[in-house]
Amino acid sequence: MGKYADDEQWSDVVPLPTDEGGDNPLAAIAYSEEYEETMSYLRAIMAANEYSPRVLDLTEDLIDMNPAHYTVWLYRAQCLFAIDSDLKEELEWLNETALTHQKNYQIWHHRNLIVDKLDQCEGETAFVESMFERDAKNYHVWSYRQWLVRRFGLWDKGELEFTEQMLQRDVRNNSAWNHRWFVVNGQEGAAGVGDPDIRAREMKFAMLAIAKAPQNQSPWNYLRGITKKSGMSLAHLKDFAEQYASLDQPDNIHSSFALDLLADILVEEKNTKQAAQALDLLEKTYDPIRKNYWAYRKEQLGLPAAVA
Amino acid sequence: MTILHEAGPEPRLEKARHIKYWTRCLKTFLPRQYTGNDSNRMYLAYFIISALDLLDALNTVSTGNERRDHVNWIYRCQHPKGGFRMWPGTDLGDRANDTNAKWDPANIPATYFALAALLILDDDFERVKRGQCLLWLQKMQREDGSFGETLVDGVVEGGRDPRLGYCATGVRHILRGSSAEPISIDGQTVRDIDVDSFVRCVRVAESFDGGIADEPFHEPQAGYTFCSLGALAFVGRLNTPDKSNPIEPNAPCDPHNVLKWLLSRQTELTDPDAGLDTEFHTAEEAPNTQHAEGKHVSKENGARDSKPIRQDPYQSVGSSIFDLLVDGAGMNGRTNKVADTCYAFWVGASLDIVGCVTLCNRAGLRRYLLGKTQHGVLGGFGKFPGDLPDLYHSYLGLAALSLAGSDQVKRLDGGMCLSAEARGRLPGLWDAWAVEGPTTT
Repeated sequence: MGKYADDEQWSDVVPLPTDEGGDNPLAAIAYSEEYEETMSYLRAIMAANEYSPRVLDLTEDLIDMNPAHYTVWLYRAQCLFAIDSDLKEELEWLNETALTHQKNYQIWHHRNLIVDKLDQCEGETAFVESMFERDAKNYHVWSYRQWLVRRFGLWDKGELEFTEQMLQRDVRNNSAWNHRWFVVNGQEGAAGVGDPDIRAREMKFAMLAIAKAPQNQSPWNYLRGITKKSGMSLAHLKDFAEQYASLDQPDNIHSSFALDLLADILVEEKNTKQAAQALDLLEKTYDPIRKNYWAYRKEQLGLPAAVA
Repeated sequence: MTILHEAGPEPRLEKARHIKYWTRCLKTFLPRQYTGNDSNRMYLAYFIISALDLLDALNTVSTGNERRDHVNWIYRCQHPKGGFRMWPGTDLGDRANDTNAKWDPANIPATYFALAALLILDDDFERVKRGQCLLWLQKMQREDGSFGETLVDGVVEGGRDPRLGYCATGVRHILRGSSAEPISIDGQTVRDIDVDSFVRCVRVAESFDGGIADEPFHEPQAGYTFCSLGALAFVGRLNTPDKSNPIEPNAPCDPHNVLKWLLSRQTELTDPDAGLDTEFHTAEEAPNTQHAEGKHVSKENGARDSKPIRQDPYQSVGSSIFDLLVDGAGMNGRTNKVADTCYAFWVGASLDIVGCVTLCNRAGLRRYLLGKTQHGVLGGFGKFPGDLPDLYHSYLGLAALSLAGSDQVKRLDGGMCLSAEARGRLPGLWDAWAVEGPTTT
């Protein structure tokens, strides 16, 4: 009849079928018999508040088919703790499950819970890195990495070097840039780029990355972030921006982001005429996809309409 | 005009096929592949109902009796103590008791989507356990201002991200308008959620680059940015490029930077397989490089020296606007990622909320949706060009198309992600409940 119905071990359980309540339910799914049976047994043992090793088997089966089930994870966690199950084994199971369901939120939340309880993170950063081999921008994995750094104080344990490695593999990986920002500025009480030495180091890092690929928004945002957080004027970046976008050579612009930065600097300098020129170049030539925005920015300058 | 002519006429929405796609979703079982979304059924239900409404077909493809059944199913998911479940699957039926009640909790997103679907179905809300729902909503807020997903054993479970904050403030908006003062429902006094602490919670997740993340220091993402802006609008604390909010605390702190971040999401990079194995650029390639490895080489066999610029990270596209208009330009969710149908909505609706949707390239966006991710045979939209349609992308594609100015879809209210017509029913409900509505929407 079914995996559970035929199993001696489950003969004491009376399955509890689902009740849709009437005709024409919405978003009804053509469940497999296997899924329907597993759900019916799950409801029955949840109703009995059972905590036992077989609960782990059943929830594992169910999670495999429907990892988004929001109470089954909580139930499994309570059960693990109640029967004092081996949490390292749980992690091993989670390693496989995470690979099959890479975009699932609950898996990572569950992992947090287990690793927090274990109170040690041996092997975790390596696991995270193996996940990045598959998808170097997986949001859950980066969030989990941040949690590990905070929870286990890994700030100075090679984390900055890790961001460097990730950016060496792909200088456009914005997740890695963001992680770097976190490592530098995220620690409670840390001065971050407010410290002149750190600021100089980070600016240099971003500028070198720009030299390698100027049309990459991430390091430009990073540079702007540094100036903003440390209260610097954008004017400090003028020479640098002009290396990639000079109004004297409008046919030789190497980065639309440099041009945009230059426009902001010129606004800061109250040089609205040149700012309008830079915005004009963006609108007409170098970033026409955003032409409405650049036109809007020109309007904000308050120049007479004749410029356009 | 010439350019548009060269690019060919704009592709049309295959409206009849979309209606057929959604009718199939409404009337037949969803394929087994949706089992992994069993616990998200309420939002699938809302997609189906709302899509047919946007296509102006809801009342023609179903009978009044069928729609009554649909409304009954939504109420079937209402929790006996207020709020809604995602689906009937957690209900323990006649075995339910106080000790196992924790395994069958009401769920915050389910509650928002259920109420939104009822609004679209023009229900009278008489069966909504309004007082209990709002009392439960208060308990779903944590000390730090964030909202959770479920209440289990007195603990607020689930993430701390603005998806939940959006849904929670959406529930507040629907059921109590903008009433900050305690209101009385069936003789019970119901206080408001803590709006100030919620706003602070959004504020700390604003990133250094203008986007908004789920939590402080996480990478900003368009979905979370939408949820944050939408929630701020629901509670009347939104700053926009045009207007600073007079009430403190408010957010985002730099709406111009948010605007720029949102507009930066538009990209002509549409192929998800491009650049998965990106290599680090050597200095010799710089500065005039585009990632053109593998099969993704320039359409002109090399970028022209004088026009190296596209924000496109991986792919050399041709250097004339002609190509751009032919291909269209979708939206990505994070910096340097490829376009994806759903972000056309998350970004488009964020822009709509801050009153700036016309600043993006709406013609390019329509071309991307209609020419690239619309499925020409089955109807619906896929995630990427050439993908089969799924409910999530098909709904958000349609919603985005309305924001992008298509006249083939009903006008959308970006903030609530349903037709403006459906949202227009709220003031009538607020009047009946004698609660305040927002002065401006």
